[in-house]
Amino acid sequence: MGALLSEISWGVVLILLPLAGGIACFLFPRAAKVLGLVSVFAVLLSVSGLGWNIKVNGIYRHAIGGWNAPLGIDLYADGLSLLMLAATALVGFGISVYSADYFEREDAARFWPIWLLLLAALNALFLSADVFNLYVTLELMGLAAVALAALAGGRDALGGAMRYLLASLLGSLAYLFGVALLYHGFGSMDIAMLAVRVEASPAVWAALGLMSVGLLLKTALFPLHFWLPPAHASAPAPVSALLSALVVKGSFYILLRLWLEIFGPLGGGVDTLFGLLGTGAILWGSLQALRQTRLKLLVAYSTVAQIGYFFISFPLAASAGVTAWSAAAYLVLSHALAKAAMFLATGNVLRFGGHDRIADLDRVVQRLPLTACAFALAGVSIMGLPPSGGFVGKWLLLQAALTQDRWDLVSVIILGGVLAAGYVFKVIGHAFTLADISHESREVPAKMEWAALLLAFGAILLGFLASPVLSLVGIGVPFGVSEVSP
Amino acid sequence: MEALTLLHWTFDILLGLGLLWLGWRVLTSPDLFNAIVLFVAFGLLMALAWVRLDAPDIALAEAAIGAGLTGALLLAAFAKLRTVEKNHDIAGQLEKGKLENRSFQWWPATFLLVVAAGLGHTVLSLPHYATGLSAEVSANLKSSGVSNPVTAVLLNFRGYDTLLEMVVLLLALLGVWSISGSALPREAAPGPILDTLSRLLTPVLILVAAYLLWVGAHAPGGAFQAGAVLGAAGVLLLLSGWRLSSHLAGLPLRIILVAGPVAFVAMAVFTMLTGGQFLEYPRAEAGTLILFLETAATLSIGTTLAALFLGERPKNKREYP
Repeated sequence: MGALLSEISWGVVLILLPLAGGIACFLFPRAAKVLGLVSVFAVLLSVSGLGWNIKVNGIYRHAIGGWNAPLGIDLYADGLSLLMLAATALVGFGISVYSADYFEREDAARFWPIWLLLLAALNALFLSADVFNLYVTLELMGLAAVALAALAGGRDALGGAMRYLLASLLGSLAYLFGVALLYHGFGSMDIAMLAVRVEASPAVWAALGLMSVGLLLKTALFPLHFWLPPAHASAPAPVSALLSALVVKGSFYILLRLWLEIFGPLGGGVDTLFGLLGTGAILWGSLQALRQTRLKLLVAYSTVAQIGYFFISFPLAASAGVTAWSAAAYLVLSHALAKAAMFLATGNVLRFGGHDRIADLDRVVQRLPLTACAFALAGVSIMGLPPSGGFVGKWLLLQAALTQDRWDLVSVIILGGVLAAGYVFKVIGHAFTLADISHESREVPAKMEWAALLLAFGAILLGFLASPVLSLVGIGVPFGVSEVSP
Repeated sequence: MEALTLLHWTFDILLGLGLLWLGWRVLTSPDLFNAIVLFVAFGLLMALAWVRLDAPDIALAEAAIGAGLTGALLLAAFAKLRTVEKNHDIAGQLEKGKLENRSFQWWPATFLLVVAAGLGHTVLSLPHYATGLSAEVSANLKSSGVSNPVTAVLLNFRGYDTLLEMVVLLLALLGVWSISGSALPREAAPGPILDTLSRLLTPVLILVAAYLLWVGAHAPGGAFQAGAVLGAAGVLLLLSGWRLSSHLAGLPLRIILVAGPVAFVAMAVFTMLTGGQFLEYPRAEAGTLILFLETAATLSIGTTLAALFLGERPKNKREYP
């Protein structure tokens, strides 16, 4: 059994499986739901296969076509890739279970092929070791995300999706320009080779600028977040969950990878700029979330704020590398789980009451106890209260900031948590109280409530799993060697 | 020789200026229809520029896809916008939007100028000639199964990228189909000229596509160009009022649409099962396998492009009542 497990190239399986599943869903729309669920579950199993493989054999590498880089494309997976793949598979499975009841008939036939192709794109992205191949996966991911965002139809969704499409294309093109500059300058598109060859020159600075702006735009870092709230808020609930939990992480992962391997050693104050923008994101996103009167927009602005935390790691990594990057990885993982749970819970509320006005939530706690519980648990992780994944991530971040006496960042991290508490409690408060208007209610299938709850529970559970998860992420030393250990 | 160099210079300068002028006109034209026509002209000039840069493969793709099919798609969108305008009387609103767009804004303009200057400086600072990977490509060309380096890169060395690109195309169509409403009745009978022309041209276009597909192994051409020509044949047929019969609009159509990606996935599974790496063709049969992949890809690309032009999902009452 063990021999069979290590003989299969799980990385390739992770790309081909959702691809074939997506095509099958497209060919046989009546069976889309079953085919989709089976594919996503198989992807979950394959990720465990890859994880087992990496744990035993170390870094995974596969030379596609038998040509090695630089001529061909290599697949590559270390602990960081594995973390992203696992987060995608876990959250994706939760959302799939939810979607099986959410989308009916024709909507299901539209949703499943696109979602499986999105899953293939995400897996391919996390496994890529080639900057041009990353561009192709980025394009694939962006296109699938836009198609999903437009799924709801109607004026708001189409407008939001159009804005999303334009921002996404602009981001990809800027990234591609950077790829062209790097290839022209250094004759390779393999990340590891570029890491060795790159030296400071105008072309490299331009590539850094273009690729960063493109990826920041796609990651929706303040002030380039303008497209996110309308696109995420007007999409169907499972799609909002996919976009907020997974898609923005794809472009962030590329940026992190490029920074760790290629651009980080160049220095030059870009990390300070990222830290400033992250601070802006935390404050602006949280304040906007507090101001919202609609639940979905509140959750969307909360994503804008939480993305800021990922970028606080950049200025801290200079002298506390492993701690700061581990914090970012942990925050990415726990945000994926918690935000997916929050959007799914919001979807339940929306289906139940037919609206998502926060002031009229009307005792959701009594009528949808599991959903309210999911929202509250996810909120605990978003706020960063113990015990939760969000707490571990923010704690590591605080630790990195404290060892360097960065009191400015310490106060931002804490203030962001307080503001998050503000908007989460605002929702929970209204969920307990009687609204002025009572309304017709519609049944919510149990699976949809449980999917949200289990994802939220996962975010809490991460609070107890810090050391195994971090040791798994450390395989292949993605964050380099550092003096401070968590 | 001197005179020839001078002629080349003059031509290139005129070409460059023409491109800039057309680009400016496309962006500032107040009339959408004009802008689309200018955009097609821009694409054709751009193809010429690629020829001048010794990149005939890109020139072919630019002419067929950039100018031809994108132009057709834009015109199709324009035609639909006009019906929407008529139905909802939003022409007035569009008019207002146009006026706002035309006012000159200093901040974006300054910002863009600074960015353009910075990028221009960077590009000028680059070494004039970079070999890139061309040495490695020619060293391995013999074992790739084809003798056209572009095809070797697209289908063999970086065949994985092409696999994903095929999926990009499929996703574009899925996206369009998922938001397009019910098919608009467009049963206008074609005039006699269009009818005759399409009868004459369609077989020729199919033949050209087959030629481009075949020739791609050793000269500029290949699946994307052939697919674009096939797509053009489809567009011509659709314009002259032809529609796929409803028996074929369901599963058979979808099978052709995914033939390219399916061929790639099947090839990937085949290569891995026979003990190779992902998409590692057996050296002896590489040429044949590449031709097989390209044939499937051409069919899918052509059909997808024509389907994108049509816009709506072809009606099939049995599947979606």
